[in-house]
Amino acid sequence: MSWLIVILVGMLTTRFLEAMVPLFMKTAIDSLEAREPNLFWPVVGILTVVGIRFCLSIFTSRLVRRIGIVTAYDLKKRLYRHIQKMGPLFFNQFSTGDLMSRSSGDVGMVRGVVAYGWIQVVTFVFSIVMGLAFMTWLSPSLTLAVVLPTPLVAIVGVYMSRRLFPIVREQRQAMDDVTSFTQENLNGIRTVQAMAQEQREISRFEEVSTRYASMVYRATRYRARMNLVMPFISIFSTLMILGYGGNQVLAGEITIGTFMAFFSYMVMVTGPISSIGGWLSQFTSAAAATERLFEVLDYEPEIRNQSEEAVPTTIQGHIRFEGFSYRFPDADRDALTDISIDIPAGETVAFLGSVGSGKSTLLKSLVRMINPPPGTVNIDGSDIRNYPIEQLRSQVTLIPQDPFLFSISIHDNITYDEPERDMPPIRDAARLAELLETIEAFPDQMDTVVGERGITLSGGQKQRSTLARGLIREARVLAMDDCFAAVDTRTEETILHRLKEVRRGLTTVLISHRVSTARHADRIFVLESGAIIESGSHEELMAQGGYYASLESIQSNQDQDRDRKAALLATLDIDVDGGSPRE
Amino acid sequence: MSMGDHRVSDAVDLSKAKKDYSAFDAQLTHSALNFRMFVRLLGWLKPYKVTLLVSVIFILISAAISVLVPVMVGRVVIDRILLPTPMSDDVADYGMGALVTGVSNGIGLSMLMAAVVCYAGLVLGSAICMYIHRLTLSQSTLQALRDLRIDLFRKLETKPASFYDHVSVGRVMTRLTNDISNLVELLTGFGQLAGEFVPFFLALFLMYSIDPELTMVMLVIIPIVSVVVYVYRRIVGDTYRNMRNSVSNMNQYMQESLVGMEVVQLSGREAQNDTHYGERNKQNRMWQFRAANIEVVYNAFNMNLASVAIAALIWVGGGQVMEEEITLGSMVLFIQLITMMISPVVAVSGQFNTLFRAMASGERIFQAIDWDESTKEPKHPVPLPESVHGELEFRHLNFGYYHGEPVLKDVSFKVNAGEKLAVVGPTGSGKSTLIRLLARFYDFDDDMVFLDGVDVNRIASADLRARIGIVLQDFHIFSGTVIDNVTLNNPMISRERAIEAARTVNAHRYIENLQNGYDTILSERGQNLSQGQRQLLAFARVLAFDPEILVLDEATANIDTATELIIQEALRRIMENRTSVVIAHRLQTIQDCDRVLVLHHGEVREYGTHQELLDRKGIYYTLHELQFQDSRAL
Repeated sequence: MSWLIVILVGMLTTRFLEAMVPLFMKTAIDSLEAREPNLFWPVVGILTVVGIRFCLSIFTSRLVRRIGIVTAYDLKKRLYRHIQKMGPLFFNQFSTGDLMSRSSGDVGMVRGVVAYGWIQVVTFVFSIVMGLAFMTWLSPSLTLAVVLPTPLVAIVGVYMSRRLFPIVREQRQAMDDVTSFTQENLNGIRTVQAMAQEQREISRFEEVSTRYASMVYRATRYRARMNLVMPFISIFSTLMILGYGGNQVLAGEITIGTFMAFFSYMVMVTGPISSIGGWLSQFTSAAAATERLFEVLDYEPEIRNQSEEAVPTTIQGHIRFEGFSYRFPDADRDALTDISIDIPAGETVAFLGSVGSGKSTLLKSLVRMINPPPGTVNIDGSDIRNYPIEQLRSQVTLIPQDPFLFSISIHDNITYDEPERDMPPIRDAARLAELLETIEAFPDQMDTVVGERGITLSGGQKQRSTLARGLIREARVLAMDDCFAAVDTRTEETILHRLKEVRRGLTTVLISHRVSTARHADRIFVLESGAIIESGSHEELMAQGGYYASLESIQSNQDQDRDRKAALLATLDIDVDGGSPRE
Repeated sequence: MSMGDHRVSDAVDLSKAKKDYSAFDAQLTHSALNFRMFVRLLGWLKPYKVTLLVSVIFILISAAISVLVPVMVGRVVIDRILLPTPMSDDVADYGMGALVTGVSNGIGLSMLMAAVVCYAGLVLGSAICMYIHRLTLSQSTLQALRDLRIDLFRKLETKPASFYDHVSVGRVMTRLTNDISNLVELLTGFGQLAGEFVPFFLALFLMYSIDPELTMVMLVIIPIVSVVVYVYRRIVGDTYRNMRNSVSNMNQYMQESLVGMEVVQLSGREAQNDTHYGERNKQNRMWQFRAANIEVVYNAFNMNLASVAIAALIWVGGGQVMEEEITLGSMVLFIQLITMMISPVVAVSGQFNTLFRAMASGERIFQAIDWDESTKEPKHPVPLPESVHGELEFRHLNFGYYHGEPVLKDVSFKVNAGEKLAVVGPTGSGKSTLIRLLARFYDFDDDMVFLDGVDVNRIASADLRARIGIVLQDFHIFSGTVIDNVTLNNPMISRERAIEAARTVNAHRYIENLQNGYDTILSERGQNLSQGQRQLLAFARVLAFDPEILVLDEATANIDTATELIIQEALRRIMENRTSVVIAHRLQTIQDCDRVLVLHHGEVREYGTHQELLDRKGIYYTLHELQFQDSRAL
């Protein structure tokens, strides 16, 4: 709090010195009028004030700025840290764009108030106090006359800036409309062009941008009106000095110097009052920004470490679902209903089922990307909720469906969880995911940067990269959520065969649409609307003649054809590719 | 050589494209004052020149009046009314004395009261002129920049696909939004600056006419201020740039973290990312500190400038008053004028940043407008008849995205009206390029592609695209209702027609099952639809537009078998009675077609019916065995 006192004292002193300047001017002018020139001391006085004020204001405003900067820094740090703890519910509620605008726009707004806002208020108050004090000291009656119209100025100022809020909000809304319209249009430009919709899109754009322009114009016009109305009211104080003060000069009650000084002091008082509406609006928007920030910061992480109950530090990989039902908030039906499965450590299990059957939800519960009800999901005999999240996720790896890569090098993407790894395991993981050859064909090999600033990978390459990123962890439990959708069948086969060796003795859970993938598992579960409708080994399910068997009869049997295909592939390589390394 | 290697070569091609894309930003000169650009910007203001002229006239009037206000106080109120001296009448008061005398005599007020009335009149008159100036200025600039924004958008709409292959949507977006807003700021900023600088020169002129000697003393300030502003600019320029970079660095990191949060959490990288973000945050804090250090000194300088000038005025001017060279009122007038002159000097340095930012923005906008790529349109397009037969012909087509790297070589084939052609080939064979050319996404040479015997380069692209319906692999969902996504808000397509189309492609049932049926709002990412559902919606969309020719890139994604069957059936229906070119991945689709074209390395290698090609035991046979086997049982 000591810095607060320093700032306050510094500012009070600055205001006081500021109020001294008109006084020096008055002394000089009065001496000139009296024809007894006294110019030296006023000039020295003003220069002294200038000197002190110069140093003081540098000192205090630097301090104030730093407080603002540090506040913004802390807020951003807290936001980032907090957001990292959030679960899927949170990210459903707050989009990336929303969070970005909160972390830059709203933090900036709060910073503005912390750094300048309250300082401005204090400055204004000091300024008014000093102006009034000096005026009263010079001429109480003229002071009264000058101050009389000021409440009206304050009232009109506040009233008008209040009415500005909705106008500004509408303007911002119109800008958002322009932005989202353009974003959508450009993202779908191929469709727009292919369907020859450019002209209509252009005329729609004309509409939104004209609307935006007229909204800005409305706001500008309102501000211009404020600037027009305010002089009509605030002029009364000046007219009081001119008329009433002028008369006092003529009557010899005040000197011409006092008359002039009143002009300066009046500005010290009416200036802050007429801008009352301005800072009021700044505070209101900052309050809104603060609210928006705390909406994020106060959001309780849905998934937390919660229990002190001891759990084994090393997971063996025995998974047991016990009457596991799950329903997403706001959903009208269960995503999973009463699932009970026991998966001993080392087993490989596959889940099949149509879109929305609950497969992904089941896998997400294994790394607590969703929060299962207590006691329904167990690992090595302990409720999964008792495992610290860090430990759980380091020993249970989920490879998600969506192949997301960061725009860093392939190397850094693969070893994302542990950047300090040596090269051999990274190469091993890449080889396992059938990615090594691809990487070695890149000019920068492992250091090739992917994404916006580097190379664009094909869907299959991306998916194999995410596969490598998951496999490198050699987790006790590996959960693969449809990781082969964009990988061609032959490559998938190769990868699955290698995985069989590598994952021997370790638990593997996978989701697939293909029977050819699922048949690699020891046991297969078919899900439908959140419930298990078939389960058993490939052979058992085939014998049952249910959903799985019909799926199998529709899809091809890759295993039987593989040898013949390999032979054919050899022909294709020679015949079709003709040995040319590049097209 | 395997399929995987083809993908490698795809990636290499794209990396070359990336180089082009970076040129989109790299070619900027970053020159601070780009005069040509400014002149060009004026071109957009031209239609609004009358409004703009009114604006300029009123700022001049307002400025002139605002300079007369201190004259009224100094020369009339002090010199004539409060402290009348014999000297007073010798000095010019620009008609203010006469005005006050006139008012005094006319209404019968005392001189002082008449002066009060005149003062009020001047201040309010100036405010009214300023009001008119602001309105007209913002009206003209806003309209001009709206036009610029629309012109830019129009250009973007007609850029060929190659442009969007290279340039990310985000970069284009910035130009349409932020950059244009920066120009608005620039133009209104100029208006404000004019509003400050006109009084500056008027005040200077006034001072000089009253007391040349004292004015010269005051003018000493100008070089001092200039030096300070210059030094400040130099120091703060780099700091600001670094600060901005650190901000965007931080934001980029945050953005990527947010998008990839699932991976971050699954990899347990939270702590490390926290540190990384923290470093960027600290970096930014450091630059903010530095900028603040410089700014506070500069602000302190600006704040005290007027007081130093006043001290000088009192010292020099006071002496002159004593020697009766000037009146006391003139000295007071000087004090007021000097305060008036300093504020634009301070303001101009504040405007610098806006100016530089706006210059960079203007450059980016014009670059996007000028970017030479734009789909070639025929000068005298051949109008197509109401309905075309739909005969497509390729004659010795050669095409490559980059010079010396042909993607399609000497491709010739013909699709008769109503015929269906399946295009097959391994990854990287040029199939996708072929259909992109049919959509005129890229420019190619004349006399190579014909529709009903007319060179497609001689047909307006909009006309051509209205006849050729294209279904790409990924169906783009616009946020809006299901109906909107089928009709694309085209008023020509009725709701009934859209529903009919959905019915035909078997999409009706699942759409009806959505929360609000056809009025269900779809989000841009389309999370509420499965792959298969999106495919059906794409079919419905193309069917609603009822094109004479259908060009389709069959989706390769894994779709569950039941949906797969529905899609096959829908596909058969939309191809009915239409000339169709399909990149086929499924055997069923190929068998539904009349002929098969095998592309390899950009060349037509085999052409004929399914059975003919199978019997030939060539590439098609091999591909067939390898790729289409899966769906044999269908």
